[in-house]
Amino acid sequence: MTVPAEPYPTATAAIGREAAAPRSVAPRSERVRRLVPVVLSVAIALFMLVLLYGPLLLLAVFSFNNSDILTLPLRGFTTRWYTQAFDDPSMREGLWNSIIVATIITPICLVLGTLTAYALTRMRFIMRGGVALLIGATLVVPWLVIGISALLFFNDNLPLWGRTDLSLRTIGLMHVVCTFPLVAAIVGARLARFDRTQEEAAVDLGATQMQMLRRVVLPHLVPALIASAIFAYMWSFNNFEISYFVGGDDYTFPVWAFSTLRHSQNLPVVNAISTVISAVQVVLVVIAWRVLRPSADDPDAGGLIPMGMP
Amino acid sequence: MRRRLTPLGFLFSPVGLLVLFFVAPMAIMLQVSFEHNSAYSFETGYTLANYREILTDPLYRHVARDTLVIATAAMAIQFLIAVPLAYVMAFKARRFELPLLLALVLADELNPIVRIYAWRELLGRQGLVNDALQWLGIIDKPLDWLLFSKFAVITVLSTSWLTYTVIPIYAAMKAIDAGLFEAALDLGAGWFTTFRRVLLPLAAPGVFVAVILVYIPLFSEFATPALVGGRSGYMLGSLANSLILEEGNWGAGAALNFLLLVASGLVSVLAFYLSKLNTIDR
Repeated sequence: MTVPAEPYPTATAAIGREAAAPRSVAPRSERVRRLVPVVLSVAIALFMLVLLYGPLLLLAVFSFNNSDILTLPLRGFTTRWYTQAFDDPSMREGLWNSIIVATIITPICLVLGTLTAYALTRMRFIMRGGVALLIGATLVVPWLVIGISALLFFNDNLPLWGRTDLSLRTIGLMHVVCTFPLVAAIVGARLARFDRTQEEAAVDLGATQMQMLRRVVLPHLVPALIASAIFAYMWSFNNFEISYFVGGDDYTFPVWAFSTLRHSQNLPVVNAISTVISAVQVVLVVIAWRVLRPSADDPDAGGLIPMGMP
Repeated sequence: MRRRLTPLGFLFSPVGLLVLFFVAPMAIMLQVSFEHNSAYSFETGYTLANYREILTDPLYRHVARDTLVIATAAMAIQFLIAVPLAYVMAFKARRFELPLLLALVLADELNPIVRIYAWRELLGRQGLVNDALQWLGIIDKPLDWLLFSKFAVITVLSTSWLTYTVIPIYAAMKAIDAGLFEAALDLGAGWFTTFRRVLLPLAAPGVFVAVILVYIPLFSEFATPALVGGRSGYMLGSLANSLILEEGNWGAGAALNFLLLVASGLVSVLAFYLSKLNTIDR
């Protein structure tokens, strides 16, 4: 047997067809082969963006369209739907109610959520698992079920308590119940990651427990608290099911939008107000994102995203 | 003397609040579900009639079957989108990884009613989708089944819950060592074998989390079927609403709601158990 002309014939064979093909073709087919996953990746990402944002962007475009149905071609620019929207007293009431409820419950949720998160991450006690389960359950049980059970509860003639009239107050109360566990999750994730030796050092150096909490723990929690505040505000503002069932005659913005849409076909007024609200929400979420500054190595950004939640 | 911080001091108000306004309402709901309906009868004492009504009425069964079909289809479609998307985000997107994550988080924080409404505008008889298809000459008259149909409900639900399907799967994939794929390829596995034997088993815990976060709430959807479902997209959530608020049949409504709660508990426990099982296996 003669020695093969090529030094490593097996290697060439293993690389496969591309390598075996004539030199002038090889780089091109290689390039195409490498391009396929890139194109696929881009296509998948774009598909998601179109699915999630396409409808809302079209809504925004048509909110400036001078026609009362949402159809092509565009008939010229107008802002009259915006003036009409803000002239509508029932819309204004719903929006105002939503803002009031969210503004009041957000600080309450921050306090309750932080207390819960601190106890769950820093203390050992019996029933700790039970408390964690209860917090998790409020996040997993559907809002419809919470809303209906609360409706039955408030209407029941309870001993000592009696009936509770449904109003913005009951809406706010139930928003606290279903929103502060979210704060507990976000803050808890931050606490779980934060190095405890600093807290121990503070106590060893003579700080009281309260001083330690105020000077060591709280400053570390500031980003998580800002983000929690924004997300709690959104949860309350966007909550439809609970507000719908426990609101009685009072209504919030989502409830107003729901009943308006249910009873009429096309409302360019809703386009306009939806666009305003979405724009504000985009700004707030981007701020929360900036504050938490997630990175590729630490993408859950201190519990912003429910990664290991249940 | 130092004041000790006790768990009781921290947890008294949050847990008290949950017991009063989360646990107690569930207990009341359970009680109401066993009571005679005050609107229709004056009997007192407890009964199983509400559960019998919910479980045997053919109309309710029909709604339950439709709900199962819609929720399962929406979940399946979301997995079809979420698995490749999560893979792209975890391994391919590089500097676009975080913007994509932001896009997902942001989408969840936008108002859900507004999103449903936007889809309704697109899918209607005179909506943009029909316009576009007619303009392109694919159809000559508007499609009726785009809106007020199961199709509409499935489409809207698939997009409104996508955040909670993608992110757990993405998080699970993020924990995978990318070297494993190279190893699999070096050992001669094709992309499909790598996907089935390496990627999917390791991403499974994320899939189970997605089931808990998404599949369960899908069964009690109410706003989406009410706004885009019409008659054929009617779901159990709409049924619970009409039993309670429109018919005043609180007993049956409570029974239905309680069954939804039990079902969601069972699915959660099962998914949780499966995710743990898988972790031990590996």
